[in-house]
Amino acid sequence: MRKDLMKNRNHHKSKQYKRRILTDWLFISPQLILFVALTIVPFIISIPILFTDMARYDDPQVNWIGFKNFTALFKDASVQNDYLPALKRTLVFVFLNYTTVYIFGLSLALLMYEVGFRGGFFTIIYLPLMISGLGIGYTAVMLFSRTSGTANLLLLKLGILKKPIDIYSPGGTMFILPLLVGWRYAGYNMAIFLSGLLGIPQETIEASIVDGTTYWSRLWKVYFPQMLPSFLIATTMCLIGSFSVFDELVAMGALYYNPEAKLLSVLFFMYGFQVERLAQGMTLAVETFLPLVFIGIALQRLQRKLAYTQ
Amino acid sequence: MTKEKNGTKKTRVSWTTVRFTATKKKRRFIVIFAFVVMSIYSIVTLFPIYALIIRSFVPTKEATTLHLWIPEAQEVDMNQQVGNLAVFYDLDLRDFKKAMGIPQTEFIMARTTLKEISQKYKIPEEKIKDYFKNFYILNGWITLLFKTDFFKALLRTFLVTAISCIGITVLSIFTGYGLAGLRRRDQMFVYNIYLLQMVIPAMLILLPQYQLVQWVARLIPGYGNPGLTRATTQLLTIILINIKGTALSTMIFTSFISSIPKDLEDAAFIDGTTRFQYVWRVLFPLLKVPIVSILVIQFPLIYNQFLEPYVYLDERYTTVLPLMQTVAGQFSTNFQVIYACVVGSLIPIVIIYLIFRRFFVEGVLAGAIKG
Repeated sequence: MRKDLMKNRNHHKSKQYKRRILTDWLFISPQLILFVALTIVPFIISIPILFTDMARYDDPQVNWIGFKNFTALFKDASVQNDYLPALKRTLVFVFLNYTTVYIFGLSLALLMYEVGFRGGFFTIIYLPLMISGLGIGYTAVMLFSRTSGTANLLLLKLGILKKPIDIYSPGGTMFILPLLVGWRYAGYNMAIFLSGLLGIPQETIEASIVDGTTYWSRLWKVYFPQMLPSFLIATTMCLIGSFSVFDELVAMGALYYNPEAKLLSVLFFMYGFQVERLAQGMTLAVETFLPLVFIGIALQRLQRKLAYTQ
Repeated sequence: MTKEKNGTKKTRVSWTTVRFTATKKKRRFIVIFAFVVMSIYSIVTLFPIYALIIRSFVPTKEATTLHLWIPEAQEVDMNQQVGNLAVFYDLDLRDFKKAMGIPQTEFIMARTTLKEISQKYKIPEEKIKDYFKNFYILNGWITLLFKTDFFKALLRTFLVTAISCIGITVLSIFTGYGLAGLRRRDQMFVYNIYLLQMVIPAMLILLPQYQLVQWVARLIPGYGNPGLTRATTQLLTIILINIKGTALSTMIFTSFISSIPKDLEDAAFIDGTTRFQYVWRVLFPLLKVPIVSILVIQFPLIYNQFLEPYVYLDERYTTVLPLMQTVAGQFSTNFQVIYACVVGSLIPIVIIYLIFRRFFVEGVLAGAIKG
């Protein structure tokens, strides 16, 4: 033990060790420079802007206004009228989208596990991930537009629906959007859960079968506890993904004629690029995402802890 | 691959053992049930894509009736007024004049019927009918392929996607190699910086990032005027944003390279290779699994990227997805062309996906385990 320590200490001082660090940094630096320049630095330079009334990125006249942008959320009625409905819609969307992770992803993974891995099914279920976000939005319009939606017309003809779903109505947008986003990511979520399932030692499953458990109790007592990391990954991915959903909304007309699709991401974009309230938009983004950053870090910590204990 | 293959094998082995137990019937029921549900879901999954393809051939006029197959081209009514044709067929009069050999300087009133045109300019009625016959179902595709910059945009998309995919792979391998082992404090620090990316949403940094890029780009001579410099700078910006590395890429490569025995590296150094040669000659061939997994995850994301190209690229240098948005704005009543654009952007990536589907299965499963 002591020998080891000594060795380490000598190692520390050696020229070779220093060179090692230097070359390590040579390898790290190309991507790190880009990453810092395009992610960390923008994050840092955004901080002073939050305290100004900058209207757009090339605003000639920028005034210092203190904490006004931050308090606007609680005092300024125009901001509240924009923000609060968008926040509500976003939270509803996040919740519904999170349920689709389980409705599509988890159940498909369990089914796939029972059938035995089939490449054909996987290929088909993963296919919607090739469609762009905009494409998903237009597909939603194509399927569920009130008078001309193909799915509407089909379901009406089959007698499943009595009244067509209108994608531009409040309920329609909030129902169709998570459905299609869930459909798009079904393959990805399935892969996350499936890799968790495939990692379960076969002995535990066989033992439970020999003991004569029902499928339901096997699910809760054997499968789920052993695929906890998969649940955490899926949760993190879904949270981040649903707060930054944007393309689908643009295709559904969020920037122009469909206020029901105006979620927070659209609001930040409009403040920055359309209505010339850049600093206010950035402040709102910070106020929204900062709590999320902490939740994300906490989830990641938990995930790493679980990874160590397993 | 090995992991997933083992998984399949193992489940099959367990099947044979289970076959002789009392629960045989029950399990068979579960399997059949699962198979049926999966088949139904697969059909439901494919339906919207099928419907998109069909709808790109359905004229807006007929969209309110259900079409499960491409409708037959209908003959145009010669008593139709030109103004109405613009609504029903999304007819562009200039194209029509060109096809019929009518000089562009001629002014055609909206109230004029096709019959009157045929008589006035001495064009046989058949010619007009044929023109509209093609236009009836192919309107969307004709408009997309000949009246927009679709092919150029597609070319740019491929260029950006290819360079970005290669770039992020190479740079992430470097990062992974530099961080391998995570033994020192500085390595741990860098690793954690990358992990931050996972929790910083793209929307939060979009606005300041745009500002920063504009500040830097304006220093480049020739950026202010349209031209090659401007196009290159803008496309390069997109590429740099794509290759800057993500939490996932760093995690995958760092953990994979860490698992490679250090003896290999020592042996290579004793043989006198430099570290760069080691990465290129020894490490690179060993990294097939993580490379595949990062490529299959990044490729659709980069190909389908909308927000950054939409914000950073001028309309004339745009890639496919912003073009789709422009098309949707320009022909806002012509849904045929919008759906054609969605399908058109989907075809290349689906072909690539189907060719490399084996890698997608392997890569996504491996990536999901690591990520």
